[in-house]
Amino acid sequence: MLNFEEELKKFRPSLEIEDAEEIIYNQDIDDMSDVLVKLLKEAKKESDSGSSRL
Amino acid sequence: MATTAKKLESLSNRYYNEGLEKAGVRDMTGAVESLRQSIKLNKNNIDARNLLGLVYYEIGDVVPALSEWVISKNLRPEDNIADTYMDMVRNNPTAFETAGSIIKKFNIALNYCHQDSLDLAVIQLKKVLSMKPGFIKAHLLLALIYLNNGNYDRAKVEAQKALKLDTGSVLAKRYLKEADSMLLPGESGKLVSDVAASESEDVIRYKSGNETIIQPVKKSAIARSNSIWGILLGIVLGVAVASFLILPQRIQSVNTSNQEKIAKISEESDSKSAQIVIYEQQIQNLQEEVDKLGAQVTDYEGVDSTSAAMNSLMSAVNIYMEEPSNVEGIAQALEKLDLDAISADVSPEFTSLYDFLMTKVGSQLAASYYKTGYDAYKTEDYETAISNLSKAYQYDNTDVNILYNLGNAYYGNGDTDKAKETYDAVINNFPDTKSAQAAETKLAEINNSND
Repeated sequence: MLNFEEELKKFRPSLEIEDAEEIIYNQDIDDMSDVLVKLLKEAKKESDSGSSRL
Repeated sequence: MATTAKKLESLSNRYYNEGLEKAGVRDMTGAVESLRQSIKLNKNNIDARNLLGLVYYEIGDVVPALSEWVISKNLRPEDNIADTYMDMVRNNPTAFETAGSIIKKFNIALNYCHQDSLDLAVIQLKKVLSMKPGFIKAHLLLALIYLNNGNYDRAKVEAQKALKLDTGSVLAKRYLKEADSMLLPGESGKLVSDVAASESEDVIRYKSGNETIIQPVKKSAIARSNSIWGILLGIVLGVAVASFLILPQRIQSVNTSNQEKIAKISEESDSKSAQIVIYEQQIQNLQEEVDKLGAQVTDYEGVDSTSAAMNSLMSAVNIYMEEPSNVEGIAQALEKLDLDAISADVSPEFTSLYDFLMTKVGSQLAASYYKTGYDAYKTEDYETAISNLSKAYQYDNTDVNILYNLGNAYYGNGDTDKAKETYDAVINNFPDTKSAQAAETKLAEINNSND
């Protein structure tokens, strides 16, 4: 037997046209390459800061 | 790094291909997942992003679709099919407004659901689906409401529609399973949902407003004859049921009713028979009473005749005392006196008075009656002769002529029995007289004539 209230929670309001602009601007479009670049940058920054301390 | 980028690009393309395949078989949920993976691995996979937008648009999510296409356009401003998709939307403002309206209505319906106004939600969702039949979320929400309301057959129909639009929809599969489990085999759910879902040629389906009309196809003569056989079989079964189940009960009830009527009539008959016996008894009693009263009346009549005789005698005596020679008046007074009728009732005084009067005027009365009677006999008036001669013999029974002529009058009148009786009386009462000899002659004559 389905629980109506629980099932209803699975339905989210559809995004309306008026909100489209905001959604587009706020959408995180970073892909795996961007994540890897950020990781590398952070790793390099950490290594630079470690060598300067020495 | 270049190798890693290549690997990511390759992996993204693999997800894109997977998404494309899923979209080809209308597994929209699977396609969205694969394509989202694809663009997460490589945001510049324009084909994957454009396809994701197309899938969103197909399932009714217009805004995410536009969002993907706008991003796609930004990432690759030139030679991008997203332009075509956006132009398609842009160049048809009515369809764009309609899409916005559909989204608003769906959100209102969802809001109604949260407010527990499920009837209003159903109305809104039906409007949404009439405007965009491919809006999967609307089908699913409607199916959920129907399941909650217990309309399992309708829920099944909606779930099946959603599953047809998105073969990978887990929600649709769950709702369909739930509806199937709640519907007993052969119930109406099968009629509505299975017929609506099937591609059978036995029905014609078309849309009227937001309702799907399902009507049977006109069948061939063979199919119709099958129907006729079915009807005939139904009639036969009906008659059999009536004969074996209904009719015996009906007969039994009629018999019971008749027996009750017979018992009632029998009771009435017994009651009437008893009344008849009582009436017969009353009739018998009344008859006895009538007989008794009749006897009393006879007694009273005897008293009357005795009384009349006394009056006659008194009158005759009175006439004699006033005028003894008035024989005619005395005879008239005694006319009504019948001694034979009153002989048993009269008193000795009456007899004595009567005998006294007879000694005084009897012979005169007899002579008077004899004369009249004899004259009548001579003129062959035998009735008058018999009457007067009888009176004459009553007043004087010593005169043989009176008796002999009375016999002659009877004989002349044809009353031979009375004549013979009278002649015998003459012979017996007055033997050795000429009249007796003449009477013997007459008797011989009568006897001879009889022989």
